[in-house]
Amino acid sequence: MSVRSLLRISLLVCFAFVLLNGVVAQETLTVLCTPQEDWCVAQTQAFQEATGIQTSYVRLSSGESLARIRASADNPEFSVWWGGPADAFIAANEEGLLEDYDSEAAEAIPDSYKDLDANWVGVYVGALGFCSNVDVLEELGIDAPTSWEDLLAPELKGFVAMAHPATSGTAFTAFWTIVTLAADELEAEEEGTGYDEDGAPTEAAVDNAFEYYAALHQNILQYTRSGSAPGSLAGQGEIAVAIIFSHDCVKLQEEGFEGILVTTFPEEGTGYEIGGMGILKGAPELEAAKVWFDWALTAAAQEIGPTVNSLQLPTNPDAAVSELAVKLEEILVVEYNFQAAGANRIAITERFDAEIAPAPTE
Amino acid sequence: MQDVRARPSVRAQFRRIFQDPILTVALIGSVIFVGLTIILPLLSMVGASVSTEGAEKLTNYIGSPVYQTIISNTLVMGVVVGAVGTLVGFLFAFVQVKLDVPFKRFMHIMALLPVISPPFAVATATIVLFGRSGMISRGVFGVRYDIYGLDGLTLALSLSLFTVAYLNLKGMMEALDPALDEASANLGAGKFRTFFRVTLPMLIPGIASSFLLIFVESIADLGNPLVLGGNYEVLATRIYVSVIGLYDTTAAAVLSVILLVPSLTVFMVQRYWVSRANVVSVTGKPSGRPDTIKFPPVRWGLFGVVMFLCLLILLIYGTIFHGAFVQVPGVRNEFTLSHFDFVINGIGAEAMQDTTLLSIVATPLAGLIGMVVAFLVVRKEFLGRQALDFGVMLGIAVPGTIIGIGYVLSFNSPITATLPILGEITLLPKLTGGQGLLGGALAIVIVYVIRSTPAALRTGTAALSQIDPAIEEASISLGADNARTFRRITLPLIRPAFLAGLIFAFARSMTTISAVVFLTTPQTKIMTQQILNEVENGRYGNAFAYCVILIGIVMLAIGIMYVLVGSRTGAERRIEGGGR
Repeated sequence: MSVRSLLRISLLVCFAFVLLNGVVAQETLTVLCTPQEDWCVAQTQAFQEATGIQTSYVRLSSGESLARIRASADNPEFSVWWGGPADAFIAANEEGLLEDYDSEAAEAIPDSYKDLDANWVGVYVGALGFCSNVDVLEELGIDAPTSWEDLLAPELKGFVAMAHPATSGTAFTAFWTIVTLAADELEAEEEGTGYDEDGAPTEAAVDNAFEYYAALHQNILQYTRSGSAPGSLAGQGEIAVAIIFSHDCVKLQEEGFEGILVTTFPEEGTGYEIGGMGILKGAPELEAAKVWFDWALTAAAQEIGPTVNSLQLPTNPDAAVSELAVKLEEILVVEYNFQAAGANRIAITERFDAEIAPAPTE
Repeated sequence: MQDVRARPSVRAQFRRIFQDPILTVALIGSVIFVGLTIILPLLSMVGASVSTEGAEKLTNYIGSPVYQTIISNTLVMGVVVGAVGTLVGFLFAFVQVKLDVPFKRFMHIMALLPVISPPFAVATATIVLFGRSGMISRGVFGVRYDIYGLDGLTLALSLSLFTVAYLNLKGMMEALDPALDEASANLGAGKFRTFFRVTLPMLIPGIASSFLLIFVESIADLGNPLVLGGNYEVLATRIYVSVIGLYDTTAAAVLSVILLVPSLTVFMVQRYWVSRANVVSVTGKPSGRPDTIKFPPVRWGLFGVVMFLCLLILLIYGTIFHGAFVQVPGVRNEFTLSHFDFVINGIGAEAMQDTTLLSIVATPLAGLIGMVVAFLVVRKEFLGRQALDFGVMLGIAVPGTIIGIGYVLSFNSPITATLPILGEITLLPKLTGGQGLLGGALAIVIVYVIRSTPAALRTGTAALSQIDPAIEEASISLGADNARTFRRITLPLIRPAFLAGLIFAFARSMTTISAVVFLTTPQTKIMTQQILNEVENGRYGNAFAYCVILIGIVMLAIGIMYVLVGSRTGAERRIEGGGR
């Protein structure tokens, strides 16, 4: 190897650096996006067209988003976090990871869908449901589940799927729904055992929910990473029942699984999510993030979801509601305490991961 | 280890190395590279696991029956996949080199296919074909087969990973001197006896290193257990959830230390075994053409087995290809181009460009570093030689997720030093995350390189240990220096290994996920992560469309590499045909 070949190699290395520089895009607004990928695409493209701000996004599940925000708290990679159950936003806010932003646009949003300290605002609402494959159900000889108890049927062994609550906001919503139901039950038996004086479910309620999920674990095929994934497992006929957001089931029906998938709701009551939005503390593009924040609360921005079959309900009362959307008034929903859910999120997901998820099934 | 030759003292060895500037640069460069890109991130992780909190967790895990099941699941899977994958690779290589049968070219292409697509593409196709409502299991045989668990993982992982064994063993079988077979035959041994007593022992190093690579890769694999693991929990997915869902890096570190134990144990056993069983067969002395096996039961029996496997692979890739063009694979089979539209015009274009570009940068680096280290390790005596080899191998022995998290921990802020006169200087800028150097691209390239270098190193050392050092010694005695000898003699001789290393590096970079899943940034998107997202959201069609494009890119790149590296040079021809 001579000097000449050394020179040649260093030239190559320089060339490589030039190539690498080409990869780096110009200054943009970076969105941490939690809903399904195609909605992220549609939403960021619409924003870019509306404002001229170059916008890119990274799609991560709710739990993954929270983990990543915590990991890079000193030096945030994202400016705005859009979508995913509000519990995760509340958990992030408790750790001081969200920036206060008192947006005027938020005035249009009903109080029940936002944080009154202006840390996060709801951008959509959706209810949890059961998404079942009719052919598989028929073969197993059972009807579509209409209660949480139905999911424990021995026929469904290995035929139920849900996401892992640690990664998925959907699955955490499902968990907290059972906590709420357990608290109601305890409260009915004896006043004060289900809820503490602040109105948060007691530890006994949480323990009862863990008991339920330990039993359900026997019927679970696998825990997926993303909340909506069990729905497509059901569509493909790999499982019978998926515990997912009902709008995700409707989306699948619209995209090829019509007549294959049915949506049902538990008669005891189901949980729901407020899809949150917040600006991250130390956001590198704070001004652009505020522009996004205001824009995402407008009726026009909230009407983008249905164009890609994301049929969550808008939080802006002026936004048109798709006929296909599942209306909260038509189903029984539980009294979901978002504040308590957010405060308990990390402890519960860690316990679920340690006690339930890795346990072998019989 | 006893060496028959007298060894020069350590100081003498180093003096000899440092007299040669190129060798010095190569050695110091390799050591710095390994230290900074592999050891440092690993130490960050190990550091976390030996903390008080980590030690407590370790005790809990080891004592828990649940984790004992997970550990044994992981080991069983590694051994089964390692054995099946090596066997499949061996069969393909054997048929290719030793049998006179038709469709060899087809078999070769089928054997290369699995390495050029992300493993979870195979897993997804496996579900579409053999799942509970699979097109074959349900559609053809009418059974509701439960593919989730060990059997599904064995199928998908063996088919995804056997190419390593195939390339490795094919290269070795081709390099075996047929004169040895002839000698055995002349001494009265039958074909079977010759195979088991002469051929097989010489292939042991290749078989062992194939098993090692497949074992380690399978227990570190993330995509397959995520997609079709069912309730068969393995350590890799547990680590992934602790990191990605809970950001419990201590738990991840502890679990990875548990995962490291079997990886490193197998690695050590293999090193010891291989070093004992090594046989020099490429001597540079005259030899004839390899003899093919004519015995019909062997010939057509093996042919049948390998053809069946080829058809299985073809079926899986057919499913991927078909699935890219229909609405919902297996459910709604109407033709559509909407998946390609989504991938190319939606979000995929940027990821495609980035991933390809980063892989192009990483490939030659991995190939070259692998060969240089192989040369240093096999041919040069110096203190820490084993450690260098070991360090490079850690790039693959360590599960990708841990490497990724190690990088985030080590490189998420600049590494600075305070010097007496200059004050604080930045030794290394921030590499990972949103504001990382070059948008985090450099960190991804480095991970690509360290994940690919071990394969290049192993094929390199396997090839080099088959070549008699006398050839290089002759070059040195004739007056060439080390660098010239390496370039003109050694490199041409290990060209098949080098090429295999390059192909593997490129394909691996394009298809790796676990190590880079935490390193993608808004500026630098990676195709495999996009594919995983699509699989995760059940849009198999989009995932398959990505895979078709990815396979196209990798095939094109392999074609280019064959043209650039594959042609034989004068030195090789002269050595091989030396006697005639």
